[in-house]
Amino acid sequence: MLTIGKVIFKATDIIILFAACALTVWLYSTFWFDSTQQGEAETLLVQFADNPPTEYSLSEERVITVEGKIGSSLIEIKQGKARFIHSSCRNQFCVFHGWLTVSGDTAACLPNRISIRLKGAFSDYDALAGSQ
Amino acid sequence: MKLHFTTNHQDHRVALLAALAITIHIIEAAFPSPLPGVKPGLANVVTLFTFLRYGWQTALQVSLLRVIISSLVLGTFLSPTFLLSLSGALLSLSSLFLLQYPFRQSFLHKYQPSAIGYAVSASITHMSGQFLVAWYFFIPHPGLFKLLPIFITFAVILGIVSGIITQLLINQIQQR
Repeated sequence: MLTIGKVIFKATDIIILFAACALTVWLYSTFWFDSTQQGEAETLLVQFADNPPTEYSLSEERVITVEGKIGSSLIEIKQGKARFIHSSCRNQFCVFHGWLTVSGDTAACLPNRISIRLKGAFSDYDALAGSQ
Repeated sequence: MKLHFTTNHQDHRVALLAALAITIHIIEAAFPSPLPGVKPGLANVVTLFTFLRYGWQTALQVSLLRVIISSLVLGTFLSPTFLLSLSGALLSLSSLFLLQYPFRQSFLHKYQPSAIGYAVSASITHMSGQFLVAWYFFIPHPGLFKLLPIFITFAVILGIVSGIITQLLINQIQQR
């Protein structure tokens, strides 16, 4: 029992709070600092709407043109990195996002419904989404 | 033909608590949120209070009435917002029910958590339930999970706040 002012924390409350903090820390370590997801990137996944993503190798330097919902988006692959260089949308958030460098990095253009994601050698199996 | 309803004390109680929850829900919807998806969830103080004082059946009625009527008032009935609200409400209430279940045994009764423990677990299930529904139905992209830790952090903090409010409310009412 811990009393602060008029508020009483019972032993069970403290256990629940402790578990909640542990859960939060675990979520941060899994989704933000997971080494298997943030290694060397090998391929670029380009996805339009709900279609299955198309995979491109990062070793080959090229510019990809993808037709989206409102127009085309240009995606550049260079030196193992990828970025949007042009998009038909108004805000250009995807272009300002800059280079994607490590596996797991994601950029998306919501108006055009196009998203790109880097994939590494070790993240073939996504624990949450199932196999890709 | 004239319809005639007879209402009892329980109906009046549910109506009163639901009206309170709906009012709080609508006032809260008027304020912009710093982060989409994060709301203080003060209407859940009413649900939690009802659950602790009158049991899960009453809390379920109040919660469902709150979700349906406030969505009708706000114009989001049967929209994605409504689906998120409903799934969050049902999941958090079932977590309250499951958490209380073992403490109904008389020898465990004194270990029952206070409002804070209930509020934190309810707000975490509320948030993760909504998150999973949003991910499964609306944005099935693995990148969405990068937001989950932030959402859960807010859920824990706001859960503690609403738990403290609920406990102070119960203290006030018990003193009368």
